[in-house]
Amino acid sequence: MGRKILFITTDQMRYDAIGANGGNVARTPNIDSFAANGISYDRAQPQNVVCMPSRSTMVTGQNVGTHGVWMNGVPLPVESPSVAAVLHDAGYRTALIGKSHFEPLLDPFLRFEENRQGFAGATEGHRGFDHMELATHGAAGFTHYSRFIRKEHPEAIGMFFQVLDGDLEVSDVPGGDSGAPQIKHNAVPRDWYHTDWVADRTISWLDGLKADDDWFCWMSFPDPHHPWDPPESELHRVDWRELDLPVGYPQNQAEREAIIDSKPRHWRLWYDGKLVSNYEAPCKWVPATLTADQIREVNAMAHIENELIDEAIGRVLAAIDAKGWSDDLDIVFTTDHGEFQGDFGLLFKGPYHVDSLMRLPLIWRPAPSAGGGINATARVSKPVGLLDLAPTFCTIAGVQPPEWMEGRPLPIDDADAVARGFERVTTEWDNHQPDGTEIHLRTIMRDNFVCTTYQPGTVHDGTEGELYDLVLDPLQQVNLWDDPERRALRDELLIDLAANFVEPREFRHAEAPV
Amino acid sequence: MATIRSHARVHRNADDVWKVVGDPTRIVQWFPGVTAVTVEDNIRTLTLAAGLPVFEEIVTLDNRMRRFQYRITGPLPVKYHLGTMDVIEDGEPGCLLMYSTEISPDPMAFVLDGVISEGIENLARMLNDHTEDER
Repeated sequence: MGRKILFITTDQMRYDAIGANGGNVARTPNIDSFAANGISYDRAQPQNVVCMPSRSTMVTGQNVGTHGVWMNGVPLPVESPSVAAVLHDAGYRTALIGKSHFEPLLDPFLRFEENRQGFAGATEGHRGFDHMELATHGAAGFTHYSRFIRKEHPEAIGMFFQVLDGDLEVSDVPGGDSGAPQIKHNAVPRDWYHTDWVADRTISWLDGLKADDDWFCWMSFPDPHHPWDPPESELHRVDWRELDLPVGYPQNQAEREAIIDSKPRHWRLWYDGKLVSNYEAPCKWVPATLTADQIREVNAMAHIENELIDEAIGRVLAAIDAKGWSDDLDIVFTTDHGEFQGDFGLLFKGPYHVDSLMRLPLIWRPAPSAGGGINATARVSKPVGLLDLAPTFCTIAGVQPPEWMEGRPLPIDDADAVARGFERVTTEWDNHQPDGTEIHLRTIMRDNFVCTTYQPGTVHDGTEGELYDLVLDPLQQVNLWDDPERRALRDELLIDLAANFVEPREFRHAEAPV
Repeated sequence: MATIRSHARVHRNADDVWKVVGDPTRIVQWFPGVTAVTVEDNIRTLTLAAGLPVFEEIVTLDNRMRRFQYRITGPLPVKYHLGTMDVIEDGEPGCLLMYSTEISPDPMAFVLDGVISEGIENLARMLNDHTEDER
């Protein structure tokens, strides 16, 4: 009997969302306990800052340029390699419960297997998962969760925020107390909400396993991704009026706009509502109109959602403990990308490679029975990527990571990271919007610097970039790209980036906006 | 307004291809996710795999030009749509199958682009394999 693997992901969660990483609002004792008894990664980055590319990296262990899911709406081919298939072939029972998003969600013709299974209520899974029960951010679409709401609680369909408007664009309808976009006070009872549903379905799947089964379960919560519409019964948890503003939000408008103006021009264009380069950000919303109270309320909603996630995790851990599996259980906790949540006066995400979106919570709590020197509590400061997850799961399962995986098993401490050459991590952005907008970013993080170069597109001519010193400027407010004294450093980082970046081999068709 | 276009070369003569393209009921043979079709006068109604109906108005059915045009009228969130299928004799062996779409709002173009490309591939394969009467 081997080690069990519980892979827990959230969606669009910031590094500082949890107590173990300095968060002081949301109470996350279960997640914090993973850090207290495991390895926390303080510089974990995604290979892309939107869902589909990032999740495709998690399941394949590959760079975006290799798996080819270069923007939302581009499906991961069914024949793509999958760590779940590797584990399945090694005798593991495998499941994905919650948000997958390897395939487009907006699929009225039901062309994609995950939507077909969700619509039909089938759970046989694919991509090496024996079992799939899928969810996304509300009651719309063809997921198993939307089927559950449709069949069991149809009165709840209209309680959630309606994500798309009549133009099929992401809605900017204001809500909550502050009129922030994508907030709604949701009357849905807590036990119908997708966070608890994901935990319920996970527990149900675990209950069906035999005591000596080895298993890999990806439990994937759709929150705290917008829309921010947690059950209103839980709003008492965090009073948004009491919240401090994020340290990444310069409260003085002139200062805020000067910082944005020091960055490549698409930052200011978006801030002024003149350019939207990510479908998921409401195209009719103008970030410059965002108020301090709206930032507070969005943050409160995210904190509430994170508390619900932590409590749901606690229920699953209790169920695992009741089965007698805790001693053999490895837990890996992370998210797919971050969220501005008010930093720079912005919300959501897009082609903006700063810590708000790129620095992720990542914790590996090895099985207490594992031994081998990996039981100690550690914080790893060296850079790692989400492409390192799949080979880590293989290692936990005692399987040699296949050659097609481009990541490496996560280091267990900084000494291990140095010994195995964890020096850099790269992140990319490519998009082609329906209006013709093209933006292309290539980013390297190493030696406590983040350097981003812009390839020619419709907004940039290929000369622009960003360079930040993460030690002296942890909020990335001072762009050193044009600083003559940093020119040699910049050139060195760009050479290293070029040597280590995997360029997309082709830009496959996007099959949906998301 | 967004425009999208897909095409395929079919190794059949244009008249054979037009027999399929010019029959609005045969879409069920090649368009992904369409499970049923009815045509009454110039109204075509599709049923999608999820049970959703799609109502369309047939605008042009020109046997001489081998051109078929239609508009989606509901309930998909479409403000303007014109789909055009042309079967073109271009002097090369076989013929060219062209499927052009004008659509608003723009995000619908993403949704239709992929499904139309897949549909055109299905249609060309069916015709090249001479299996159109087997389905």
